[in-house]
Amino acid sequence: MQTAAVRIPGRIENILSWKEQGGGIAAVFPIHYPRELLRAFGYLPVEVWGPPVVESVSSAAHVQPYVCSIVRNGLSFLQSGGLELADILLVPHACDSLQGLGSLLLDFIHPRQPTLTLYLPRGRRESDLSFLAQELHALYRRLAEIHGDSPTEPELMSSIRREEAADASLAQLHRQRSRLPLSDLAFYQLIRSREYLPAERFSQLASEALDQAGPITERGIPLLLSGIVPEPMALLNLIPELGGWVAADDLASCGRRLYPAGTSQDPFLRMAERIIHAPPDPTRGSSIESRHQHLLSLAAESGARGVVFHDVKFCEPELFDLPDLRRQLAESGLPSLLLEVDLNDPLSHQLHTRLQAFLEMIV
Amino acid sequence: MNIGKELNYQWQVNVLGRSALRLNRILMARKAGKGQLGKSRLLTPPLNTSIWTKELIGQHYLRGRYANSHGKVAWVTSGAPIEFLKALDFYLLYPENHGALCGAARAAEGLSIEAEKAGYSRDICSYARTDIGAMLSGKTPVGRLPKPDLLLACTNICQTVLHWYRVLAHHFQVPLILIDTPFIYTEMTDHAVAFVKAQLEEAIIVAEKVAGKPLDPRRFKEVTRLSMLASELWLELLRRNRHRPAPISVFDQFTQMAPIVEMRGEASTVDLYAAMLKEVDQRIEQGIGVVPEERLRLLWDNLPVWYRLRYLAEFLGAHGAVIVASTYTNAWAELGPQMDPEHPMESMARTYMYPILNRGTGEKLATMRQMIQDYHLDGAILHSDRSCKPYSVGQMDQRDRLMRQDDLPALLLEADHNDPRSYSEEQVANRLTAFMEMLEAA
Amino acid sequence: MAKIEALGVDVGSTTVKMVAVNDHGEMVWHMLEEADPRAADQVSRFLAEAARRFGSLNGVPLVATGYGRKLVQQAARQVTEISCHAMGIYAELGHGGTLVDIGGQDSKAIRISDSGKVIDFAMNDKCAAGTGRFLENTAGRLRVPLQEMGQDALSSADEVPISSTCTVFAESEVISLIAQGIPVPAILKGLHRSLVKRVAAMISSVGLTAPLMLSGGVVKNPAIRAMLAEETGSAVTLPDHPQLMGAYGAALYALRIAE
Repeated sequence: MQTAAVRIPGRIENILSWKEQGGGIAAVFPIHYPRELLRAFGYLPVEVWGPPVVESVSSAAHVQPYVCSIVRNGLSFLQSGGLELADILLVPHACDSLQGLGSLLLDFIHPRQPTLTLYLPRGRRESDLSFLAQELHALYRRLAEIHGDSPTEPELMSSIRREEAADASLAQLHRQRSRLPLSDLAFYQLIRSREYLPAERFSQLASEALDQAGPITERGIPLLLSGIVPEPMALLNLIPELGGWVAADDLASCGRRLYPAGTSQDPFLRMAERIIHAPPDPTRGSSIESRHQHLLSLAAESGARGVVFHDVKFCEPELFDLPDLRRQLAESGLPSLLLEVDLNDPLSHQLHTRLQAFLEMIV
Repeated sequence: MNIGKELNYQWQVNVLGRSALRLNRILMARKAGKGQLGKSRLLTPPLNTSIWTKELIGQHYLRGRYANSHGKVAWVTSGAPIEFLKALDFYLLYPENHGALCGAARAAEGLSIEAEKAGYSRDICSYARTDIGAMLSGKTPVGRLPKPDLLLACTNICQTVLHWYRVLAHHFQVPLILIDTPFIYTEMTDHAVAFVKAQLEEAIIVAEKVAGKPLDPRRFKEVTRLSMLASELWLELLRRNRHRPAPISVFDQFTQMAPIVEMRGEASTVDLYAAMLKEVDQRIEQGIGVVPEERLRLLWDNLPVWYRLRYLAEFLGAHGAVIVASTYTNAWAELGPQMDPEHPMESMARTYMYPILNRGTGEKLATMRQMIQDYHLDGAILHSDRSCKPYSVGQMDQRDRLMRQDDLPALLLEADHNDPRSYSEEQVANRLTAFMEMLEAA
Repeated sequence: MAKIEALGVDVGSTTVKMVAVNDHGEMVWHMLEEADPRAADQVSRFLAEAARRFGSLNGVPLVATGYGRKLVQQAARQVTEISCHAMGIYAELGHGGTLVDIGGQDSKAIRISDSGKVIDFAMNDKCAAGTGRFLENTAGRLRVPLQEMGQDALSSADEVPISSTCTVFAESEVISLIAQGIPVPAILKGLHRSLVKRVAAMISSVGLTAPLMLSGGVVKNPAIRAMLAEETGSAVTLPDHPQLMGAYGAALYALRIAE
């Protein structure tokens, strides 16, 4: 994978080199989880966001067609041997469908690897923070059981600091994107390498990219992209082709995971703080108003002239908020467009027309 | 309190409404006496006590109609811990029940369209669409719904309700209490129980503030006791179906369950189910079953298809097939044994984490297997409900295990609990016919 | 012979339309044919015909719109049918409002401001339920010619509700209604209702600003017009050439280039 400026190691290359050094691989399903905890046990987290180029037939024996393609593809990928290099599987609780997937793996499908789950509380109260810290502690104990060895508190803290540094670089890339000599596609390839690279390697790539930051360049009508994941990646070629560019995002896989650094000296509480205080996300129970405010501030900072909601079909957490969000954004002078995709389908002609018409409308 | 409004409430609800509902009950009871209650030739007439259920539900919505002028109102999810709200004298509205009522009254489709017009996708739960449609248009078959002063969403049935209640909170601009019940993949952990308990304690403080009065511990215990009694009676009632022929079909349970869901914690609900149990026992003594000749006993998994209850009952009835047990009606029966009125907080945290939808897909298979054994069942129908992912994901493997490991014929039936547009009667009839042929050949 | 200043072509999924405008932006010529799978050749033929009538097309810019707009290499620019329909209808009727275009493949509702700008738009989702295809498929079962469907539907006082909006489900529903002996016009009326309700939902998602304007081929169907008015409670307005609004709008975009 070659971008204008930075060479990003590929997924497989990276996994193999990690394994060669004696490390383990944790295949992780969406969305939120503590990378630092897995790394402290020597597991490199590699994320599975419904790989699009996979035959989706094998999952059809386990999940109904009205379940989204992220879950269907993830399961098909597992069943077709795509996760053979993984030593453990982690399915965080993001929604009813991912809850179902975790339960199916544990109760019926029984993959070769141990399956771990993590419940993420849906509020931002003291009780949510303390529950999440304990839930992370339970995950720690489970990992210790599987691994046989367990990291000390100082080891955990240093793992946390390493991820905090990588997240700080990630946030800087997001803020500096208009100064980077990267196309939309290259930019997202770079930031999404956080989904599989070790934190220290990612930080290094980020700083190489940031070194090349120049003056702000005009590159088309600035858009704010909201949704789950920028897939199919062809979207990121289509947007510039039609005269737009992604100036900021509120994507579950990207911008909603700009975890701030924690403050507590207790490692479990600190990991919990990072997740709880991340930007608003409906899958973590954020209110519509907090999401509205967040989108407005993203648009204001980036100069975005419109919002594109790019959602995976059947995604209830996204769909419920849309009517109120879109109405309020419109009242604030920010028009929006809804695109729905199935990860297995090519971008439709109609989607092309909608996006082009939207850009014609806001130009 | 505004005296004029209160007088109007008393006049409308307790004088006019109550009398009208009572008169209706007397008329229906007369019809029942003459054996004219049921409209079906294939099925035994409904229970006489069903007239009483109807009256209670009528009263419930009648009180709802005027509730805003009388006291505080909370909208709550169907599996929510409501005992403290009841003890604080909130009028409780259950949007899911209202949705089901609209579904049975064939009003859900029109209301869904209202929501869809406002931009709500057809891929979200049809209960939510029905209720959001009612909220936006003000239309409902029950006349009028009271506005909430408080919302209570408990995630023990799905995450959908949280997203739905966020929409309600945004619309009504009232406090939303969230009781987040961590999903039990394998075991109920102590820290999850502690989390739920902590949230309940916080919830009580919020509810007291909205109610403008403190929670009376004695009243709280009493409500919990009534909830428990009703749930236990409901469990007994379902268990009577172990008898052959089964005295009360699951399709009847679907309509008779309304009070255990939306009038839990009330004395009249306990009285109703005690009387219903008596009547069911009489049926057993007299050897009366759901159909004149019971040949096949089946399990139903998932929510009902509200708009086709009678059709499905008669279709199966024509084959001598009776749905005897269901994981759905059982969900409210499972609560009772978990409750402890002496320790309402502790037991509530555990009770409300326990619903079948908050436990793993393997646990559901285990529950189904237990029912198949206890109720001597010949087959299972798993309603694959487009609108309910937590209930439906897992069914394909559950069905597969029932077929392969238990040698039990099982059918996956594609439909939707409230949206008739996602249901094809020709397809359903075809599949059911083939399934009946398969069962009869077994 | 009139002089033309700009050309627009709308390459749709069922028909291809070309419009020429004079320097006042008035439509002076048009051509319409069933869509040919070799769209590029077809557009060349249209251009040849225009050249035959008006002389050399040198310096006469062409803008392409519609489903196949990218195939038109002769075009100076490609613009979506959303913007073109809005542009065309505004020039023809002289006011804003909500425009509904029901095509064979796609349907759309477009809200147009008083100054002719697109404020918002919505399109049917992936399934065919809100498009002309829905009627075509289901009515095919009833063996009623497409041109007579609307009249037949309106002639019926009775109407059976069709509950399925999915084209596949609706077809099986229609089959069973036929088997029950329900008269064809009553079924047709139900089918039209189903389509119109779907379109009405799309209209309210962008917001109905009177008047409601219609364009597209399906608008020739009188039942659609009557039932949309009934369903939305708003009178409907039609341009003289409802099928040409996309091409006309494209020609007006081309005129801007010419100027």
